[in-house]
Amino acid sequence: MYLELTEEQRLIQETAREFAGAELEPLAARLDREDDREAFLGNLKKLAALGFMGLNVKDAYGGAEAGVVAFSVAMTEIARACAATAVTVSVNNMVCEVIQAVGSEAQKQAYIPRICSGEYAAGSFALTETGAGSDPSGMTTRAVADGDGFVLNGAKIFITSAPYAGVFVVWAVTDPEAPKGKGISCFLVEAGTPGLIIGKQEQKMGQHASATNEVLFDDCRIPGSALMGKLNDGFRIAVAELAGGRIGIGSLGLGVGLAAMDYATRYATERAQFGQRISNFQAIQWKIADSYTELEAARLLLMNAAFRKESGKPFAKEASMAKLYATEAANRACYNGLQMLGGYGYSQDFPVERYARDARITSIYEGTNEIQRVIIAREILRNFA
Amino acid sequence: MKILVCIKQVPDMESRFKANSQGVWFEETDLAFRMNEYDEYAVEQAVQLKEQLGDAPEVTVLSIGPDRVVEAIKKALAMGCDRGVHVQDPAAATRDPWQIASIIASHAGDKGYDLILTGMQSQDRGSAQVGVTVAEELGYACATTLVGFAFSDGTVTAKRELEGGIKGVVRLRTPALVTCQLGLNVPRYPTLPNIMKAKKKEIQTIAVAELLKEEPLATTVSFHPPARKGGGIVLEGDVGVLVDQLLGILKDKTAVLR
Repeated sequence: MYLELTEEQRLIQETAREFAGAELEPLAARLDREDDREAFLGNLKKLAALGFMGLNVKDAYGGAEAGVVAFSVAMTEIARACAATAVTVSVNNMVCEVIQAVGSEAQKQAYIPRICSGEYAAGSFALTETGAGSDPSGMTTRAVADGDGFVLNGAKIFITSAPYAGVFVVWAVTDPEAPKGKGISCFLVEAGTPGLIIGKQEQKMGQHASATNEVLFDDCRIPGSALMGKLNDGFRIAVAELAGGRIGIGSLGLGVGLAAMDYATRYATERAQFGQRISNFQAIQWKIADSYTELEAARLLLMNAAFRKESGKPFAKEASMAKLYATEAANRACYNGLQMLGGYGYSQDFPVERYARDARITSIYEGTNEIQRVIIAREILRNFA
Repeated sequence: MKILVCIKQVPDMESRFKANSQGVWFEETDLAFRMNEYDEYAVEQAVQLKEQLGDAPEVTVLSIGPDRVVEAIKKALAMGCDRGVHVQDPAAATRDPWQIASIIASHAGDKGYDLILTGMQSQDRGSAQVGVTVAEELGYACATTLVGFAFSDGTVTAKRELEGGIKGVVRLRTPALVTCQLGLNVPRYPTLPNIMKAKKKEIQTIAVAELLKEEPLATTVSFHPPARKGGGIVLEGDVGVLVDQLLGILKDKTAVLR
């Protein structure tokens, strides 16, 4: 049993922390309050140049080949500074990884280097629909074979990075007669394809700089080569390959939770009431003890899931456990941190209210925590049946 | 062309320091270590020179210390140095600047380095003696506290920071040693692919006993935080009077308003 990071992982963590502290953190509050996409995309480009868009991607496709543990610690450091940047980095990494796992050689060559290098600011996953969230098999977007290609029609919602994504991983029904979940296929659709329409941008509670949009397909014609993986095998891709994204979002949650508690704890050692620092009070100490204990547990769960994935072991249950626990621990840490700041916690002059808003989505996106519990229970009960 | 960069791994300067049990240096447990800031400028300058000369120079990075310093060496390799030398010395923190300089000079003596770069001082001990002593021992030309660097035809043109914002420019023929100051350059972040590729670069490990023949010339006898000063001055009363009082104190007791 060895719980230390390798020297390379520590250097990646240090690089992420220093870059995030110097370049992301100074902008995060402004990007939360006002729209400055140029600045946001500028930071993404710098992160791409450093190799953060393809941490677990092969060198041949422009990746860093640094592994999943490095991906997790990098996500946490980026999220400490700016959760909106972190979610974009997480999604970009997962788009690269899914194409690397399922795509043809031509698809890998065409898209992964562009995301890794920053030529594409982002890649997007277009899975969720208004009627298909936790139950993606209920999707209605159709892909109809037409000549040597397909025609897409339908609507997706909550698509991260849609306005500046260079490529979309799109799921659509290709066999409406098949049993539920069996007739779905996965496609790679380039931005600018006629009939691919970026719709309304959501006005969200947090993670403001990261755009979340409707994506519409109106007789959107794509070539046969856009099919990724086997026909009618898309649902399996969604279920199997997206588990890695849960490590990313759990790590993101951990970063936001740590940011909140670090800020609040420093505040508690300075803020005086009743003639002494409030960190002297047990009520504050217990919040500090509870939250840091939970965040440490979250970190270990994440490290375990990341290590298992990196070692080629099954990791779906562990990734769900880590995502579930880390994002809920992060929300509790933000609640505690905000409470420790009292009225100032609720004020926009301090960053903790932003952390609280940014953390809130983490128990919802990348598979709601209710779905994570379904996955965990199913994996456990399988051994008892 | 052969270049040597000497780096030290130091604690994060925002750490809480406490004296070790002998009371002569800080306790290392629980500290996070990183490359000395001034040495990062030296690494960056060496890599920039390598790039300027079309990749021709071989850049060696050397660090003395326990196994943890390999991480700093790997960072330098990821930034673009070619090979590493780790002088393994678990007791490096107890060495005086003379011994550290002697170790480096002993390594460099027969290697024919054209240029040696290092930080102007370490962030923890801050003696600023190692660079100049190495130069003296090797008989190299030396310039300290560089804020500007240019190289052509075997000549270094160094802009030095003097007191009070004044700058000086000196020229040195190689072989030469320069020490680097804040403002010389902005060290690059090592890219992730380069961090991973640095794993393949050679790091030679040398036991300190092979290089260290000198006894210390100076010994640290005490390491302690400054004595706590008395409480601050609390001014109370009408704002107009307070301002005059404050101005008076600043004039009398500080250099702020002189």
